[in-house]
Amino acid sequence: MSALSHATLTSAWFGLIGLMLVLYVVTDGFDLGVGILSLMTREERDRSLMIQSIGHVWDANETWLVVLGGALFGAFPAAYALLLSTLYIPVMAMIAGLILRGAAIEFRHPAHYKRAWDIAFGVGSAIAALAQGVILGRVITGLAPGLASGVFVALTALGVASGYALLGATYLVKKTSGPLEHAARRYALGAAATTVTAAILLTAGTRIISPISHLRWSDPTVFQALLMLGVVSALAFAGVVWAVLTRRTHAPFRAAVLLFISSFAGLALSLFPDLVPGRLSLSQAASSHATLVFMMVGIGLMMPIMMGYNFYQYFVFRGKIQLEAH
Amino acid sequence: MAINDIVNLSRGQFAMTAIFHIIWPILTISLSAFLLLVETLWIRTNDVMYYRHARFWAKLLVLNFAVGVVSGIPMEFQFGTNWEGFSRYTGEFVGNILGFEGTMAFMLEAGFIGVMLYGWGRVPRGVHWFATAMVAFGSSLSAFWIMVANSWMQSPAGVAVVDGRLVVTDYLAAIFNPDMIWGVTHMWVGALETGAFVIAGISAFYLYRRRYADFFLRSFKLALIALLVIAPLQIWLGDSSGFEVFRTQPAKGAAIEGDWHTNAPGSGAPWALLAWPDQAQQKNDWALELPTMLSVLGTHSLTGKITGLADIPRADQPPMVPLLFYAFRVMAGIGFWFMVLAFWSAWIWRKTRGRLTDMLRQRKLLLAWTLSIPLPYIAVESGWIVREVGRQPWVVYGLLRTRDAATLLPAGTIATSMVMFAFFYAILIATFGFFAYKWLKKGPDLGALPPAFAAPTRPGVARLETQS
Repeated sequence: MSALSHATLTSAWFGLIGLMLVLYVVTDGFDLGVGILSLMTREERDRSLMIQSIGHVWDANETWLVVLGGALFGAFPAAYALLLSTLYIPVMAMIAGLILRGAAIEFRHPAHYKRAWDIAFGVGSAIAALAQGVILGRVITGLAPGLASGVFVALTALGVASGYALLGATYLVKKTSGPLEHAARRYALGAAATTVTAAILLTAGTRIISPISHLRWSDPTVFQALLMLGVVSALAFAGVVWAVLTRRTHAPFRAAVLLFISSFAGLALSLFPDLVPGRLSLSQAASSHATLVFMMVGIGLMMPIMMGYNFYQYFVFRGKIQLEAH
Repeated sequence: MAINDIVNLSRGQFAMTAIFHIIWPILTISLSAFLLLVETLWIRTNDVMYYRHARFWAKLLVLNFAVGVVSGIPMEFQFGTNWEGFSRYTGEFVGNILGFEGTMAFMLEAGFIGVMLYGWGRVPRGVHWFATAMVAFGSSLSAFWIMVANSWMQSPAGVAVVDGRLVVTDYLAAIFNPDMIWGVTHMWVGALETGAFVIAGISAFYLYRRRYADFFLRSFKLALIALLVIAPLQIWLGDSSGFEVFRTQPAKGAAIEGDWHTNAPGSGAPWALLAWPDQAQQKNDWALELPTMLSVLGTHSLTGKITGLADIPRADQPPMVPLLFYAFRVMAGIGFWFMVLAFWSAWIWRKTRGRLTDMLRQRKLLLAWTLSIPLPYIAVESGWIVREVGRQPWVVYGLLRTRDAATLLPAGTIATSMVMFAFFYAILIATFGFFAYKWLKKGPDLGALPPAFAAPTRPGVARLETQS
């Protein structure tokens, strides 16, 4: 087996894992975002609508994380082991948040007093989002300790949480009507502003402290590609604002998704060919050729099928929601 | 803090999260299969009673599924967080299989459960049936892949050590490892048995209370018919797994049976029905023995050789021998009780021809079924304890010791996450119990009619089941 084909295969797996990450971040991102926004919503009726809007899909969304975990474990065992064991505390915090909100979504429905479950839903969502931001920040800084890294990580946590809030708000624009939709448009503008501020600060921070800066950004080709992705992100941001203000239904969410995809493409481009910059490269972490081929057949072929029936589930529950009789 | 303490803390956490998690998927597997059965019967016979069964039991599934999902998330990540060495060493196979489980099975379940639970009236009957079938298939397939990974840890095959980690050399051998067929079937049938007992037990409870008696006689009958096959089948599968254990993991087999001394050639090993194994002394303090019986159980021959635990180096012996000895007896005892109860009930059913008035008079029988509801759970947990504690001191039998697999985390960190999980689990189980009780008290809706399929864009057409 040639070295080239193994390198290609490893890169293909990096791409596939990246796709799973984008699918997770976009789908669970909006339902975690709905959770974060529920903390700012005073009316119980509105919170009922918010939870109802994600009730049929949150579980499948979260399953992308499980898919991602399994695929990373199989394709890049060393990365799975290094990241999870080093990031024990944020990973456990993320799990705690996901347990809290998942249980709240399901148990709120039959509960008579919903207030406690609403708090669990909102707080759990916020914890999970912040913990994922911490994990992302630690990866970008190459797991480096120190104050500067700490500040950077705190900023990624806030950036991810506000990005999720943006997805959640634009999703609510799509799924709700009346005063809640109106509020969602307001939330979307606020979240878009904080997300873009965080993104700009994080880009500057990456330039200053992350090993990515000298490993990848010094390469002119990479830099040009990143510049183009930056332009796409800027357009997507403008698109979100424009679509929210012109009272469009579907466009705000689509523009927010585009913003996420361009940001994650930029991230993937910046990391490659490392998984943890300066610490672990793809080739060091990868499983052997036979395993990567076997997994590619089993998992790669399933990807379009999984995406297909997930899309169908969204299709079945399409359209604006109305409050159920209780 | 000594390495051993850290390893034991991580073992404790894994044991706690796994013991808690397994409760839920075993019912999801069997209850979704049952829902597929009643939905199929409804479509076939057009008898609305089956539709009402589908709606009634689905509410239990919602509660059960939610806890299963949230308690499953820690399982996917704990290999990396607490068992870094294991993840690096076995990722090529175990990670691969977990990836298959996620993509082929777990997502299938999640991708269709929304349609199955909330899609009534939004999709045509046939599509709803298909969604139910995918949930049932996905949950069983999930169990298949998980048991492939676990059985490989019991009897690893098809791998070689290259640069300090395992590389798969033969996928067929690794997937179809010696323990696989028994591990998969014993677990899957155990899951079906659990659901059948839960359904029969809850139905018997309503019959005992004489509420909705017509309705629940039907589910009782379906579960009973299933158990007439499942209960004896499970005993046979258990016996076969035990046979396999003596072949591939002699130390586990000897520990389960409290057998310390290898039998002399030409003689049979005695089987201790009850005993108190004393690992320090490497003997039983006392024992109630049947001659030759262990050779028969372990090798299916009168004079088959059973290696005694004392003849295995102490460093390779599993710990906690009394726990293994009694957990096994609890599991097997429950398995036999299930067969007795199923056959006894079938005999009474035959005698009374299943007439409702006669069945309602069988107070003791109905009570026995109701009180048996916790037993399948106890049996499954005991079986897992035998399987996992019995594999110690290895995490991958014969290849990787548990102490070499753990992440060297600060003990306080692991203890904190353990306390967190314990706290969550207490809340989850209490909440589940509370809502399950409300569900039980409310009973089925005997007026429910199947919603007509309507265009899903019309708002408010398909409402979720209201729970006032």
